[in-house]
Amino acid sequence: MKPLQTEALDQGTGSALSPMLLAVLANRFDGVVREMTNTMLRTGRSAVINSARDFSCGITTADNELFATAEGLPAHTYGLNLQTAAMCAFHDDIAEGDAYLHNDPYSGNSHPADHTLIVPVFWQGEHVFNVCAKAHQADIGNSLPTTYHAAAKDIYEEGALIFPAVRVQRARQNVDDIIRMCQRRIRVPDYWYGDFLAMLASVRTGEKRVHEIFAKYGPDVLRQFVREWFDYSEARMRQALRGLPTATIERRGAHDPLPPMMPDGIPVHVKLTVDAENGEVEIDLTGNIDNMDNGLNLSESCSISNSVAGVFNCLPPDIPRNGGSYRCVRMKLREGAAIGIPKFPHSCSVATTNVSDRLLNTVQSALSDLGEGYGLAEGGVGMGAGFCVISGRDARHDDHAYVNQLIIGNNGGPGGPVCDGWITYGIPVVAGLMYRDSVEISELSYPIHYREIRLTQDTMGTGRRRGAPGVRITYGPSHHPMTVVFAADGQVNPARGVRGGGDGNIGSMHIIDAEGAVTRAPSVGQITLPKGSWLSGIELAGGGYGDPLDREPELVHEDVLERYVSLDHARQAYGVEFMGSADDDTLAVDSAATAALRDALRHARSN
Amino acid sequence: MAQATSSGWRISVDTGGTFTDVVIADDQGHFTIGKALTTPARIYQGLEAALLAAAESLGLGLTEILARSEIFIYGTTRATNAIVTGTIAKTAFLTTAGFPDVLVLREGGKFNPHDFSKPFPKPYVPRRYTFEIDERIDAAGHVVRPLDEEQAAAVLRTVAARGFEACAVSLLWATANPAHEQRLGALIEAELPGLPYTLSHALNPILREYRRASSVAIDASIKPLMQAHLRDLQADLRAAGYQGEILVSTTIGGCIDVDSVIARPIHTVRSGPAMGPVAGRRYAALEQRSEPVLVVDTGGTTFDVSLVRDGTIAITQETWLGERFTGHMLGIPAVDARSVGAGGGSIAWLDAANLLHVGPQSAGAEPGPACYGRGGTAPTVTDAALVLGYLDPDFFLGGRMRLDAEAARQAVARVAGSLGIGTEEAAFSIFAVSNEIMINAIKDITVSEGINPAEAVIVAGGGAAGLNIVPIARELACRGVIVPRTASVLSACGMQFSDIQAEASASAPTRSDAFDRRRVNDALAGIDARLDTFAERLAARGFAAASRHYRVDAHYAAQVWDLAVDLPAARIDNDAHQAALIEAFHDAHRRVFEVDDRASPIEFLGWTGRLSIALPEIRIAGTGGQTTAAPAMRAVHFDIGGPVPTAIVRGDTLAAGAVVDGPAIIEEATTTLVLPPGTRATLSAADSYVVDLAN
Repeated sequence: MKPLQTEALDQGTGSALSPMLLAVLANRFDGVVREMTNTMLRTGRSAVINSARDFSCGITTADNELFATAEGLPAHTYGLNLQTAAMCAFHDDIAEGDAYLHNDPYSGNSHPADHTLIVPVFWQGEHVFNVCAKAHQADIGNSLPTTYHAAAKDIYEEGALIFPAVRVQRARQNVDDIIRMCQRRIRVPDYWYGDFLAMLASVRTGEKRVHEIFAKYGPDVLRQFVREWFDYSEARMRQALRGLPTATIERRGAHDPLPPMMPDGIPVHVKLTVDAENGEVEIDLTGNIDNMDNGLNLSESCSISNSVAGVFNCLPPDIPRNGGSYRCVRMKLREGAAIGIPKFPHSCSVATTNVSDRLLNTVQSALSDLGEGYGLAEGGVGMGAGFCVISGRDARHDDHAYVNQLIIGNNGGPGGPVCDGWITYGIPVVAGLMYRDSVEISELSYPIHYREIRLTQDTMGTGRRRGAPGVRITYGPSHHPMTVVFAADGQVNPARGVRGGGDGNIGSMHIIDAEGAVTRAPSVGQITLPKGSWLSGIELAGGGYGDPLDREPELVHEDVLERYVSLDHARQAYGVEFMGSADDDTLAVDSAATAALRDALRHARSN
Repeated sequence: MAQATSSGWRISVDTGGTFTDVVIADDQGHFTIGKALTTPARIYQGLEAALLAAAESLGLGLTEILARSEIFIYGTTRATNAIVTGTIAKTAFLTTAGFPDVLVLREGGKFNPHDFSKPFPKPYVPRRYTFEIDERIDAAGHVVRPLDEEQAAAVLRTVAARGFEACAVSLLWATANPAHEQRLGALIEAELPGLPYTLSHALNPILREYRRASSVAIDASIKPLMQAHLRDLQADLRAAGYQGEILVSTTIGGCIDVDSVIARPIHTVRSGPAMGPVAGRRYAALEQRSEPVLVVDTGGTTFDVSLVRDGTIAITQETWLGERFTGHMLGIPAVDARSVGAGGGSIAWLDAANLLHVGPQSAGAEPGPACYGRGGTAPTVTDAALVLGYLDPDFFLGGRMRLDAEAARQAVARVAGSLGIGTEEAAFSIFAVSNEIMINAIKDITVSEGINPAEAVIVAGGGAAGLNIVPIARELACRGVIVPRTASVLSACGMQFSDIQAEASASAPTRSDAFDRRRVNDALAGIDARLDTFAERLAARGFAAASRHYRVDAHYAAQVWDLAVDLPAARIDNDAHQAALIEAFHDAHRRVFEVDDRASPIEFLGWTGRLSIALPEIRIAGTGGQTTAAPAMRAVHFDIGGPVPTAIVRGDTLAAGAVVDGPAIIEEATTTLVLPPGTRATLSAADSYVVDLAN
């Protein structure tokens, strides 16, 4: 058993804060993280930061409890605390003006591509908080031009520089050795340095703002605030968990087969125990397989944050995600497990997406077993054609090298108790937060040409609340050959529906050569497209929630009008019959025929 | 008393969803305010009622006022309301084949990753009204796939047959090569004569297909409506005997002739919030303040913040109608006025673990705060203000509305009971939390513009602004606060100070390491040619003294969000200009983000020229000191301690130069200024209360 709660802070001297001060300071710290986030968003250089928002900012306490995260990716919600703890463990001379670079998945980071800058914040000589900015880099110097090296049998083959909380600033000045190492090793060093500056601007801004709060309120009030804020967050979480039925649920999921490494796929196993009486949930991941000789192992922080994110997805959305609410979560993790705590030197290169997406899906869909109104279906997964890392040379700019991850595809979100899936969902671990690249900006920035990006029809998991559709996307190089690296999922296993809802479609990727011949692309690998050839992908729709025959006919009507659902599919999957035609705006639900058809379909089902 | 420099009178009108505000400036610079309910069916009726209200204060007839006036400036929320409520023309959206979902997919983004209770927003134009056109142009402007005219004609026949009322055309890379859009325009004119349509390269030649398409869809969809609206207004004004110039206020905080906005009605969207900073800029200048100016406008449900630096109003390319991510992006440059859901009507509530929140839910005008006595029972910020003693229940809106102090007290007492604190402490807590939300909104805009609030002054407008602006300014350590006596009609005042402005843009991407002067200068020449047509038309109406300024949206290579930088000259035709432009970008980046990256190439994308014609300057004359009355005293709460005996000063007893020391409350007919202990307000010659906080 590994409880998440950590020791309480030193006892402060203050008595309870006024309700006003509690609310005011909560807004204040929220404002600090917001300002850090905005700073990063607007100054980041690579598209993964400024378009995909694949970064997060947060604050941990000096004794390394997660204190504040705002709007961060679910995949990043947990772990900053492990990283600042590593910083404290590795250094006994931490001083004001320091900054530390951390990307070590064995001491708290998500995966090596997420560089994290940590600034310890001091007030009157006392280490009071840490401000952190974590951002996915365009490149980290892996052996292949991708930050997701699925085939890497260990950290050595993966090839990235690993920084276990390495000091990169002393007295606010760069430690140039480290900067030079990165600039030597990392492809497109100018992008990396630009993103490094963005992270630095973010954490230094955060530091300044925390200082301002201390100057105004003093350390005693803030110590008291931290304690009360954790207690408040815990109370919110406990109340929410008390509203769930007590139950123990086991659920399995699976990442697609990865021949030749994992020909049968990667199984995911989750055992959830909801203890409503005490307002606790236990997430047991110990039933998962041992570490694999590839890059898809999860780091400890990914194992925790993605399973807890699956729980948060099914609770009121405004519960703070910090050390307080985490007190109500008990994690059971096994060392040396593919989903658990990774054993060095197993690679966690792809930890943040593929298996994490499946883990998150498995947890949120498991909760739907609690009954109607609980949980969610599975969301569309797979870093398909629209999420590949492209690289090559740009003939328009003196053959300058480029490498970047596309964030222009789309998998659809899951149906839930209330809503249909969110269309621009992306993948479960980003849950719609990312921005999508603009076709025009992408074509201007890289020598790429898109032929098509359109939402697909009849692909969504059916349900009382249906999943959202994914896209069909086709692109190729506009000049020199383009290398495309991918590690897709969802080409065998779809996003599953729950409570009678249907599964989403199965994805695919094809290469179309200059003669028009079509061949299936592998789901994991690297291809080179010469000019005139294309990569075409069909991405995944989300699963549905509840029985599609219970879907309100007027919603099916709207889906048909909007061409998400064809007339045939509306009839077969939803049992809705129509009169008139969409082409002349006369399409209408035939209520009597619909009732009859639904009766017949239900009858056929029960036989 | 300041002298007017304009001989004719000037009328400005701000028609909101509920009220129509009128400001009449006479030839001495006296401002007279009129207010009436807006009449959406025929806008002139409400406008006339507001004019009559002002005329009555002046002791004149409507005819006389119209006869004395030379300039009439009209601002309206008509277009904004139509867009937000979806009451727009049935619009066909024509886009490049293969990319039909530009308006659905947008640019992604969502606020809370764990919230699955909100539906995905519907596109501005439904998918079923979207038509793919067989054609494709690439990033270099080359035709990859020629326009299939037969297919296009077939689409237009469908558009005709299905009764579409407007047509929006936005093709990929029309900014690099407009040939296909131009041809489609010609086909529309031929096949569908008279159908209003908008072409993206002509309206808004910016990169990024979603925001360009969104602007085009919005513009086309409001053309029928706004054209009728503005022509009706013009006819009604002429019928009433008005013979002067009619101008319409715009999204960039200027005004322009009616014909120009009839052609591009999107430029009227959000013109109201755009006028706040125009007013703020002038009010700050009148007090000889050279600091950055934060302009806030507090209404019942929203709090708008905008920024003026070095006399320049911050402009943004990212204006959302409705909420960010789920609303619709305006897509054209607009005054950066950010709204948060906070105002007098914001409701205070406790969550499941008793943490106090305020808003974003609002009691609105109906039922309104509990103290309005219209059935509202939820405690609002206005109720809290009443409990704290900031408002006089018998002198709200100058005594035109009586407030129910007991209802306010009961509403706030419920929150107090749950928190186990006194009613006054609860009221002050509500007030403080509401202030925090506004403080964060102010910080958001200062962060993204690289301004330190401690170096700024605040100009506060809106009826409720004076209640909390002094504590907010103190918290932000601002240098001072200016509350104009006419604060409650800030937008209409802004129109009085606005210039005639027109903008033209062009997309001409180039990089600092391979700067294509010819391409850039060709783009600038094209911009000038379009501004020339505005200039000629306006010169013919007697507006001749025009100036031009140019700016470019740029970013470091591979950044995606742009910074706007002013050009050093009208053309970049020598090394010095080019170097100055590059330097200006590095400076702007460092100012906003505290870092620059001189080793990196800069990408310059969108170029914009602005034509400005200053209207004769209006000076403001003081209006106070007409009456005398000794201040009353009231017990008022300024913190969670006990009440403080506080002077209640009637604004109309004060003349220029008057000094009021806190604790005090200055009551004007349409606004109230709360001065906590230790603060001091001075009534300036320009008729504003100035609170100096620099020490």
